[in-house]
Amino acid sequence: MSRIGVFVCHCGENISATVNCEKVAKITGELKGVEFSTDYKYMCSYPGQTLIKEAIKEHKLDGVVVAACSPRMHEPTFRKACAEAGLNPFLCEMSNIREHCSWVHPKDDLTTEKAQDLVRVMVEKVKKNKALNSIKVPVTKTALVIGGGIAGIQAALDIANCGHKVIMVERQPSIGGHMSQLSETFPTLDCSQCILTPRMVEVAQHPNITLHTYSEVESVDGFIGNFKVKIRKRSKSIDEHLCTGCGLCTTKCPQKKIPNEFERGLGFRPAIYVPFPQAVPNKPVIDREHCTYYIKGKCKICEIVCPTKAIRFDQEDEVIDVAVGAIVMATGFDVLKTDYFPEYGYGKYADVIDGLAFERLASASGPTQGEIRRPSDGKIPKKIVFVACAGSRDPAKGIEYCSKICCMYTAKHAMLYKHKVHDGIPYVFYMDIRAGGKNYEEFVRRTIVEDETQYIRGRVSTIYEKNGKLIVKGADTLMGAQPVEIEADMVVLATAGVANHGAEELAQTVHISYDPYKFFAEAHPKLKPVETNTAGIFLAGACQAPKDIPESVAAASGAAVKVAALFSNDELTRDPLVAVVNRSAPPVYSQCVGCFLCQSVCPYQAIEREEIKNRNGEVIKTLARVNEGLCQGCGTCVALCRTKAIDIHGYSNQQVYTEIMALLND
Amino acid sequence: MSDLIKKVTALLNDKTINAFIGYEKGSADRIRATFIRNEDQAQKLILNASCTQNLAGYLLKHEVKKLGKLGILANVAALRSIMQLASEFQIKDGEVYVLFANADGSLTEFTDFKSIEAFLETTDTGIKSEEQEMIAKLEAMTVNERWLFWNKEFEKCIKCYACRAACPMCYCHRCTTDVNQPQWIPVASHELGNLDYHLMRAMHLAGRCVNCGECATACPMDIPLNLLTYQLISPIKATFGATAGMKADAVYALSTYKPDDKENFII
Ligand SMILES: Cc1cc2nc3c(=O)[nH]c(=O)nc-3n(C[C@H](O)[C@H](O)[C@H](O)COP(=O)(O)OP(=O)(O)OC[C@H]3O[C@@H](n4cnc5c(N)ncnc54)[C@H](O)[C@@H]3O)c2cc1C
Ligand code: SF4
Ligand code: SF4
Ligand code: SF4
Ligand code: SF4
Repeated sequence: MSRIGVFVCHCGENISATVNCEKVAKITGELKGVEFSTDYKYMCSYPGQTLIKEAIKEHKLDGVVVAACSPRMHEPTFRKACAEAGLNPFLCEMSNIREHCSWVHPKDDLTTEKAQDLVRVMVEKVKKNKALNSIKVPVTKTALVIGGGIAGIQAALDIANCGHKVIMVERQPSIGGHMSQLSETFPTLDCSQCILTPRMVEVAQHPNITLHTYSEVESVDGFIGNFKVKIRKRSKSIDEHLCTGCGLCTTKCPQKKIPNEFERGLGFRPAIYVPFPQAVPNKPVIDREHCTYYIKGKCKICEIVCPTKAIRFDQEDEVIDVAVGAIVMATGFDVLKTDYFPEYGYGKYADVIDGLAFERLASASGPTQGEIRRPSDGKIPKKIVFVACAGSRDPAKGIEYCSKICCMYTAKHAMLYKHKVHDGIPYVFYMDIRAGGKNYEEFVRRTIVEDETQYIRGRVSTIYEKNGKLIVKGADTLMGAQPVEIEADMVVLATAGVANHGAEELAQTVHISYDPYKFFAEAHPKLKPVETNTAGIFLAGACQAPKDIPESVAAASGAAVKVAALFSNDELTRDPLVAVVNRSAPPVYSQCVGCFLCQSVCPYQAIEREEIKNRNGEVIKTLARVNEGLCQGCGTCVALCRTKAIDIHGYSNQQVYTEIMALLND
Repeated sequence: MSDLIKKVTALLNDKTINAFIGYEKGSADRIRATFIRNEDQAQKLILNASCTQNLAGYLLKHEVKKLGKLGILANVAALRSIMQLASEFQIKDGEVYVLFANADGSLTEFTDFKSIEAFLETTDTGIKSEEQEMIAKLEAMTVNERWLFWNKEFEKCIKCYACRAACPMCYCHRCTTDVNQPQWIPVASHELGNLDYHLMRAMHLAGRCVNCGECATACPMDIPLNLLTYQLISPIKATFGATAGMKADAVYALSTYKPDDKENFII
């Protein structure tokens, strides 16, 4: 016979306003197997919890039902209280008489009756509950950081400085990300390279960080604390140990006219190249798509000139296996491509460029050494039109969100232009100016007032070329939608920030969720902004949504703290509410027939194969087994298993059946 | 001596197989399955137009498995059963020796899954036209009419479980119907019990049924219960592009998710 205690909470008046809590306690106290029942104003408060603990001891309770709010809210609270009183925490259940009853029904006898039913169901369930022990899983104290932009760099340094090992994977030949392309940064106008490159070097030199550039993550298996990752190190065609980074090869390569991605196509690079002078690592790679040797079968000039004989034409990709305990996603963002803007002539007119190209023009290390010269003829433009929200907040282009960084960098661009070309006139077409952030509004004000930028509120409808000028047509909505036409020398589009290419595939590879725009999804928009729904995988920077540098860095440090917290224990403790495949005596061993349909349906790759062998070591049966570290207790496998060989601890078939029967047998 | 008898005798004698599943003459003018273990027994083997039973179901029966390495006389349905069972890890490649009876009486041997897959690709595996017509009739009914139709059919069911025993895909050691802790499916053959059983059966065979028709053939009460699983074949094909029993390494359409899966069935 069970000795169950029922504790009915008033939740202030949240429950008692419509449910007669005293009556619920009294009636359910008469149920078979209920030893004690009571009601109290705030069960979760200190006196409330004490009441439960004392009742457990005094009445020797072997099960507890707390009728209160949602278990999502307070199940941990009450289970902990029970544990403190010596009762196995998994013998405590909650009956939700608030969200499921008092909040959704009027004050009525029926409402009270429903509350009684909900309690009765849980009493029956608790009778079938079993004492469970928490699961312990070991932790590999090495973190994987995917992406080496500022966010990845910050996360890696923070984790490494806590004394943990970090493996960084960057798909480009150099780390640095978009920030390495920027000229000066809002709102302080400090030079991007000057604040970034020292950190890039720190990553390369940190004893706790292993850097794999020109590499990508190929597969991720395992679970929090115990991931197994395959990294494909693409062949750079050089022996990095021998190469001294002298750069002689890059000057002799006959391929000289390859559009330079780093310069947004405003300059050229050879086939063997270092993406930019401050690159980390500062050693070249051969771009096999454009290398004469790989195209035509002969050349090898770089091999001839290389003083250390470091060139390796036959080098192959290498796939390495690493074990890590946590993963930080920091793969950043991209900007909309040219083909999205036929109406602006982007891609057609050389002098319609995007914001990143403008960054390169304004950068001291850029193709024009920091002079603002237009791409078509190298002349200094006297009028520049900046178009904010190019693609953003535009359902027609499929992007309804605000890219967030464009208002600020457009103001920065106008300001930089004015600082460099004193007689130039910058125009900005905008929808709204969104300058929320420390010193951001002041920055935009300066652009407008001190740097005399003409802000026009409205969208640009078309841009076309006429007599060497770009005719920009738009409307000024503050002047009653009056048409505006500007003869500009150059146009800069603040193209929308979008998810990086390959983000969707990567999310699927590492098994995290993503939003409709393919940005990685956080576990909770407010309370878990750097966690993903997959335990042990965290988010940093613009891979989650467009973010500026301060936000990217803050998120990266947040993710690093989560990783450090995870690594502060040698073992992880998990709730044991996981699936289990039943086992029985030979010759059956289990009801499982080894069809492994559960394996393909499990969203967490938690089902493994176990071979049952006889004394001679021959396999006599192959059965499913649940990896307790991976299983999230979702129950999908239970629904699929035809032979009912799988069950979930704490939500067993028997328990659910009992609950239903309790209701039906009223 | 027929080619079949010669072939099976040779296979047994050179120990390629230990037992062969084929057809023999039963009582009256019936045909039944037989399990041949030596040359003498092999003389009983027959092969004619009445040999239509899908024998693949026997491959997983405990008593048959015990006989050692198996050979089987297969028709198209049996080949598909073998593919489906392979995809559910019940049969390994090379484990079963398959003889296929061609329409002209000649035999084709299959020793691996690849050759069966290739053969099935160019073979008609569809549902018979009479059955197509019945399905069309069912589909033309209103939901209510269909409900009444099936309830009327299920009323006849005596829960002998012959359909389950005949189905090659019903190989669980313990069927859900036999689970009594808890007893989700009532044992008794009353209205609710019968409905529960047949719904469960249809769900468990959705996308796995290879349209062999053995269940309906086995039914002593003449319930056309094969139509229930047949009716699920084309929507699963249309929605997920999958047909059961065509590939040994297929993944079950209803247990996998692809980002481009249609979701038009969600209302
Ligand atoms: C024109 C322009 C001007 C800007 N100006 C400013 C400014 O003045 N001030 C400011 O605060 N912010 C500015 N920003 C925003 C700033 O660029 C971002 O905040 C910052 O770059 C985000 O850093 P991140 O590390 O998250 O992403 P990224 O910089 O995009 O870095 C991501 C890194 O991950 C790598 N990667 C991607 N996919 C993979 C993969 N699958 N495997 C391995 N590696 C991968 C990429 O190669 C890259 O190195 C500007 C942005 C633009 C477009
Ligand atoms: S679905 Fe059931 S029977 Fe099939 S492998 Fe999984 S546990 Fe075993
Ligand atoms: S309960 Fe969910 S997570 Fe656990 S094994 Fe089953 S399907 Fe996988
Ligand atoms: S359900 Fe019937 S038709 Fe389908 S495979 Fe089983 S026995 Fe054959
Ligand atoms: S064979 Fe026919 S009567 Fe027997 S259980 Fe199946 S449907 Fe019912």
